Amino acid sequence: MNELIIGDDFIKILLVLVLGSAALIITQRSLVSLFSIYAAQSAILAAVALALFTREGTASLLFMAVLTVASKVIIIPFFLRRLLAVMPIKRDLEFHYLTPIGSIILSTGLFFVVYQAFSALSPALEVSRLFILGAVIGVSLALMGMMVIMSRRKVITKIIGYLSMENGVLLFSMFIAEMPFIIEVLIIIDLLMIIVLSAVLAFGIDSSVEAFHKRLNQLGLDFED
Amino acid sequence: MAEYLLYAVLNIGFITAISPLLLGAIKKVKALSQGRVGPPLLQGYYNLAKLLKKEIIYSQNTSFIMRLAPYLNIGFLLAAAAMVPVVFLPSAEGAPGNVILFLYLLVSAKFFMALAGLDAGSTFGGMGSSREMSLSAIIEPVTITSAAALAFVLKTTDIPEMFAAVLGASLAQYPTLILIGMSLFIVLIVETARIPVDNPETHLELTMIHEAMLLEQTGPKLALMELSYGVKQTVLMAILINIIFPWGLAAEATLPAIAVSMLSFGLKALALAAVIGVFESLMAKIRLFRLPSFFMLALFFSFVTIVFELLA
Repeated sequence: MNELIIGDDFIKILLVLVLGSAALIITQRSLVSLFSIYAAQSAILAAVALALFTREGTASLLFMAVLTVASKVIIIPFFLRRLLAVMPIKRDLEFHYLTPIGSIILSTGLFFVVYQAFSALSPALEVSRLFILGAVIGVSLALMGMMVIMSRRKVITKIIGYLSMENGVLLFSMFIAEMPFIIEVLIIIDLLMIIVLSAVLAFGIDSSVEAFHKRLNQLGLDFED
Repeated sequence: MAEYLLYAVLNIGFITAISPLLLGAIKKVKALSQGRVGPPLLQGYYNLAKLLKKEIIYSQNTSFIMRLAPYLNIGFLLAAAAMVPVVFLPSAEGAPGNVILFLYLLVSAKFFMALAGLDAGSTFGGMGSSREMSLSAIIEPVTITSAAALAFVLKTTDIPEMFAAVLGASLAQYPTLILIGMSLFIVLIVETARIPVDNPETHLELTMIHEAMLLEQTGPKLALMELSYGVKQTVLMAILINIIFPWGLAAEATLPAIAVSMLSFGLKALALAAVIGVFESLMAKIRLFRLPSFFMLALFFSFVTIVFELLA
């Protein structure tokens, strides 16, 4: 029993850290920091999955943790950093509709609305408070990611928005929806594709075919003409 | 009563004594992280000793406010220092430590400092006071929300009781204290006018906030103002330290316990001073109009803490 309580507290600490990282993603302007925060957030999610695995013993949670570490902590941030090395911009200073202050205030509101919605639903869901907490934070994280997509102008930051949104969905699925593992794998593959495609788009949209090929060569994505 | 008297004298004395050391430590860490040698650790004490020996000169335009402000400023801050235990936890009865009163004391000190800045009628003083008050208007709700979140999580508005609550528990029992810690750190940076809000080491028109208000003060009065700045910083650091890392804080007033308490606080405060020094070296000063986004982060953390507590 005692062990279980310690497990719960540990998960709560991790959830608190997820929220902290979400707030930093909204306000951060330096791209290098954004990627590092995203990697840290994904690492925390992997730790949540591991903690839940030790508690529930479901094997898919363990796979999820491994997959998250491999894809979102190592591969995606590595790819994004390589992208950044050849990109002319290092900071994202342009915003649509909302400045970081507006986004932070709005996300406070979003968090509260999600909390209200789930408090009303919680008797019907019949799960423990910890799981409701995880679900609220998961949905809020997804909505905050959506806000990043909406409020940033640069494609590269929008990608971080997508990724953070997916992290929210993952968190939600860990606590409430119990998504099949195969779906999670498919989502990760989708994410990788999104990143490759948006990187190509972000680069190629303003260049001629020849210049575009040259840029792709810089990225290490060589093409046979 | 005797115990409380002992507590007040020791606590205020210790906080006052260690303040210049912490200021020196932050400067030293900053200098080292920027590849400079920096001033000696005890430079704060030398500066105070030097200022105390100098004569006081006032502008002809000043009123009694200018003469009174340093005493009021240090008085309010020492009273606030009595509310934040660092040597040992006083027994609950008769020890004032209400967090709302504490915030009012800090604001009163700030008010008189701003008034003194305006008093001489110099452009810099007025500018500093105006900037300080504009920032205060934005940071005050954030400070109050952080204090409210703290009171909400620990179920008390009494600062010694808050410390007692976390001393008897682990961080795992109050996970939201991590978020409150981040809010308190931002409040600490803003309230002590550090980078990215203000640069305490320059006297440039563009960056000055806190220093501009002190430009007309001289000699021992300036020493008092400098000391009160140090005390304010130590008190705010003490809250952050004793909420997040309460280990070593004595629960009763015995000599070995007090010695351990002072030593552990000194070490923890030096560690926090090093963190602040590195943080300052990593950051650039933010434009004045972009500062609210920095404060809003603290507000978000405090608000989220309250919702988190409601759910958990």
